[in-house]
Parts: sequence; C-alpha cells; structure tokens
Amino acid sequence: MKTDMSIRMRTMLYGLMCVLLIPFVFPTWWMVTSSVKPISDIFAFPPDLLPRTYDWSTYQRVFELQPFAQQYWNSGYIALLVTAGTMIVSSLAGYAFARIRFPGADAIFMVVLLGLLIPAEVTIVPLFQMFNQWGMINTHWPLILVPVFGAPSVFSTFIMRQFFIALPIELEEAARVDGLGRFTIFRKIALPLAKPALSAVAIFTFLHSWNLFLEPIVFISTPQMFTLPQALTQFTDAYGGAMWNIQLAAATLTALPVLIVFIVAQKQFVEGLAHTGLKG
Amino acid sequence: MANVTLSQIKKQYGNTPVIHGVDIEAADGEFVVLVGPSGCGKSTLLRMIAGLETISSGTLKIGDRIVNDLDPKDRDIAMVFQNYALYPHMTVETNMGFSLEHRGGTKTEIAERVKWAAEILDLSNLLKRYPRQLSGGQRQRVAMGRAIVRDPQVFLFDEPLSNLDAKLRVAMRAEIKNLHRKLKTTTIYVTHDQVEAMTMADKIVVMNAGEVSQVGAPLDLYDRPANRFVAGFIGSPSMNFIDGVVENGRFTAPGIDLETPSFTAGETSRQLICGIRPEHLVIGGEGISAEVSLVEPMGSETQVTFSLPEGTIVGVFRDRIAAKPGDILTLGVQTDGCHFFDPLTDLRVE
Ligand SMILES: Nc1ncnc2c1ncn2[C@@H]1O[C@H](COP(=O)(O)OP(=O)(O)OP(=O)(O)O)[C@@H](O)[C@H]1O
Ligand SMILES: [Mg+2]
Repeated sequence: MKTDMSIRMRTMLYGLMCVLLIPFVFPTWWMVTSSVKPISDIFAFPPDLLPRTYDWSTYQRVFELQPFAQQYWNSGYIALLVTAGTMIVSSLAGYAFARIRFPGADAIFMVVLLGLLIPAEVTIVPLFQMFNQWGMINTHWPLILVPVFGAPSVFSTFIMRQFFIALPIELEEAARVDGLGRFTIFRKIALPLAKPALSAVAIFTFLHSWNLFLEPIVFISTPQMFTLPQALTQFTDAYGGAMWNIQLAAATLTALPVLIVFIVAQKQFVEGLAHTGLKG
Repeated sequence: MANVTLSQIKKQYGNTPVIHGVDIEAADGEFVVLVGPSGCGKSTLLRMIAGLETISSGTLKIGDRIVNDLDPKDRDIAMVFQNYALYPHMTVETNMGFSLEHRGGTKTEIAERVKWAAEILDLSNLLKRYPRQLSGGQRQRVAMGRAIVRDPQVFLFDEPLSNLDAKLRVAMRAEIKNLHRKLKTTTIYVTHDQVEAMTMADKIVVMNAGEVSQVGAPLDLYDRPANRFVAGFIGSPSMNFIDGVVENGRFTAPGIDLETPSFTAGETSRQLICGIRPEHLVIGGEGISAEVSLVEPMGSETQVTFSLPEGTIVGVFRDRIAAKPGDILTLGVQTDGCHFFDPLTDLRVE
C-alpha cells in the first residue's frame, strides 16, 4: 500500500517536473539548434526540433563580425575581478555586521540594505557623471566598481552576515582562548566555515556580472571594450536587421560558461542558499 | 600552575547586576567546582575568569598577576566548552595543536605535545578524524586534549559533561578527576549537577542568584550546610524542611515531637526550621508519626513519601519497605540528623 502510494507520488512528481522543465529547456534548445539553421528555417512553424541542415559557419562568422574573443576575455576577467572583489568586501563587511559591536551598527546596516531597494536605472545617470569626472568612461572600471560596491555586494554582505550570525560563537571564543586575534579568527575559523555561503555569493556575483547589460551600454562605446551581452546586440546586417543565426551562435557561446558554472557548482549553490535560510 | 583569586568580582549587563561581589580563592593545583541552579551566574563568572566577558568591578588574579584587562590569550588559561567548540574544519590533530601553532611552537614540538596528550586521553588512533566523525565522548576528550596540550596555568570547564548520557558522564567524571591527579593543574569546573560537584571537587563553591552561598569541602557542605539554600541544594533527594518550635531541647511541629540533644538554644521557645535529610530518617524510631502516601522501590533503596498534617516529607531507606499508601508509621531521626535554620535569615542555627 505504502509503496504504491510513494510510486504514484513519485511518478506524479517527475511528471510535474517535466512539465515545469519545458519553459526552461525549450528556449535553450531552440537557441542552440537555431544557431546552425539557415535563417529561413529559424522561424518555421511549427519549429523543427532538429535542424534539417547544419551550417556551422555561423560560429566562424561570430568571430569575423566582432572582436568576439576580446569581448569574451573582457566579460571573463571583469566577472572574475568582480567576484573576487565582492567575496572580499562582503565577507569582511558581513562578519563585521554579524560580530563586531560598534556604535550605530544596526543603523548602518539598515542604510546599506536600503541600497538594495534602489533600481540601477535610478542611479545610472549620477554614476555616469561621477565616472565621467574621474575619466573612466569607456574603461572597464565602472563595470568592476559598481557591482563590487553596489547592490550585488550588498546582497552578498547580507548573505554572509546571516551565515556568520548562525555560526556558533563558542568556536570563536575557543579560538580567542587558543590565542588568536580578531582578524586571525576571521581568516582561520569563520571564513573557512563560511565556504557554502561564500560559494553561493561567488556564483551569484559571477552570473550577475556576466549578464550585466545596462551598465556596459551606458559606460562602454567601442567594440574592443564591449562585454558579451552588449556584443550580442551588434550582429546586424548593413540595414540594421538581426542576423538571427549568427546572433544565436554568439548567444550560445555566451551562455556556455554559465551552464558550466551551474552544472559544476549547483550543489554548493543549493547548499549555500539552504544554509543562509534564503530559498531561491 | 597558579592560584586564582577573585575579590569582590561584580558583573552587570547594562543596569542589571548578575554577579554581586564574589570572593573565591582557588589554591595552586586545587579542583574547585562552582555549582548552583540555572541562571545563578556560574557561566558568567567562569567567562570572566577566561576573559571572554568583561569584569564590571573587583580584581581577578591568576598567580601574582592582576588579569582584569588581559585578553584571553594572555591569561594562560584553557577552557572546555559545554558543546566542545571543536573546529569542524580541522582534524583532531590540528584541533589539538592549533593553539600551539599560534603561539609559535615548532612543528616537532607541536607534534610531540599532541602525541603526549593523545596518549593520555586515548585518542591516538583518532588523530586524523574530523570532529563530525567522533562520538560525543570522543569529542569531549578531544576538547580536553585541546586544553591540556598547552600546559596552561588554569583549566576552566563549563558543564563539560552535560551533553553526554548518564553512563558516559560517570566514566568521564572519573577520567577528568584522573587527569587532574596526573597534571595537578588548578581547575575551575562549572556544573549544575550536585553529584558531579560532590564527587569531583576538592572545594565546592555553591552559588545562588549571583552570590556565593557557601564555600567548603564536599562533605563539610553536606554535614554542615551554612544556610537553607545550600542544605536544599546539596543532597539528593533534597533535605526535608519542617517549620516548628524548639523548646527545652525538643522540636515540635504538627505530628512531630523530636528530641534534639545536640541543640541547646536555651529554654525559651523559638520558631525554627528543622532540616532532615531523607537518608537520616529511620523507620520505627520515635518522634514523627506520618502516613505513607507513596512508595517508590528502586532496588538498592526505597524512597517513601509521607504526609504530615502540614506538608510532606521524603525518606530513603536501604531496606525494602513493606508499607502501603495509607499506613501510619512512626519515624525517628539518626543522631545529629537535624539541622536548624532561622526562618527569617535562612541561616544555620547551632
Ligand atoms: N549577555 C547577557 N545580557 C544580559 N543578561 C545576561 C547575559 N548573559 C547572561 N545574562 C544573565 O546572567 C545570569 C547568569 O547567567 P549564566 O549564564 O551565568 O547562568 P548559569 O549559572 O551559567 O546558568 P546555566 O546553569 O543555565 O548555564 C542569568 O540571569 C542571565 O539571564
Ligand atoms: Mg551556564
């Protein structure tokens, strides 16, 4: 009886998951297959699940039409720097907010959190003026500095703070008795134990930076400096019409690292979110 | 090794005082147990000695140094926490060597000390494991190992056995005592379990509501409790208290008329509380006549609850008791089995 129930339950659950998967998997499938279809086949209705003819030259064209390798590198190194920077800032700030009692700590934390409520569109113009004054327009600095000291970092700080608060205080007290100072305790005890939260922060920030769109189109103007999301908009013919298959080939290449990150790190990601009590 | 001296130590959180001026002296090599009910301030006091909590006023000396304002790491103490606080991301070996590593020991020195401690605590074959791979008792031993490797002046324990099951607790009790016999390091041990206190201590400090109620050797506290609180706290089941009058060498209360030869507080009658330990009641003596209300045989002894005209008393007897609820028995008290306390001050009267 009981096993019958659980088998039925399982079948239903798997069925439900398959249905839920369709809106996620189908667009990806469409993107990948369409990247090797001739343009005329892309919008055929009903769509073909597999291309009738394979045209791999689109992938070559991606690199001919744009300095795509350079743009790939731009996106990559910026995302890595942003990730490293955010990990440093958010773990230090999160620890301070969790463990160090200083005057106005709670008020400051509230103010920092409020930063999350302001949409990027609101701050982009003042930011443009600021970076303009600093002579940083059409450099990658804004794409690094804005996330490391902006909303993604605030969110990460929040995650880290929650994690550090939940860490047993006795561990740190034991370390104090064992002869460690505040910073060594952070580095040798708290930080290594915060690995799950830190991985969640890393993945989240990397993806955020990788997908950043508004800031690049505002701050960057030459193709050599473009990042990938911005570059994707550039695959058009002389009349401004989209070259769909080439654009989708570029999109496939852009999505690839994200997919890899997710597959490799999904366990840490889920664990990290579960640990912090935040459910995605 | 060193003695630890607390003089007029006080602690308040904001405006709430929790420790009201405590004086304790732990001699060099002594095993001192702080015992008291939950919330009386034992942990707070221990944490002040460790340096994890600031001292509001008073002086704390370890050896000849006043250490009030020193960091925990400069006090040369080691502490064992209730939940062990082992570093989860380090092996047993690293956990134990960690403090030495941070005090600049060389690799061979550390390895040697860890090996020494592991042998004493029977941990030698667990050195490569992580805390999560250990049983409760093993974790407890690692926590002690972490404390002893450094050979500190003072060991501090905060209810180290309360997470263990009853059997293991008894075994670890003996092990800690043995360890102390070997190392002879001054130890301050916090517990709320009076059996632990009685069996382990050279000296017991009974605390109540942020104050020291009495200090003394275990049997002194049992034989001559200085006040009603200590009388009730030490001993299990706890002492019976009966309100009554003492006059002409006799203590009388409803249902009770006892001779008290040891008590010579004059001829005038005086309101007092008589305290009698359950194990000092004898069946068939004379002085108390009471109705049996509950019989609880435990095998080695029998615990009987009697009802008196006012309240109930409990007796513990080595013999098996045939009585049933409802029976009326006469009870006596062993020689020197009566303790007297002043009903107003709760202090012992002799
Ligand atoms: N951070 C704090 N702020 C305010 N009051 C506190 C704080 N820490 C402890 N107290 C109070 O101090 C008193 C003593 O606490 P403490 O933890 O020392 O008790 P304890 O004797 O160790 O009890 P237990 O046996 O339950 O561990 C308690 O009344 C507690 O409420
Ligand atoms: Mg306590």
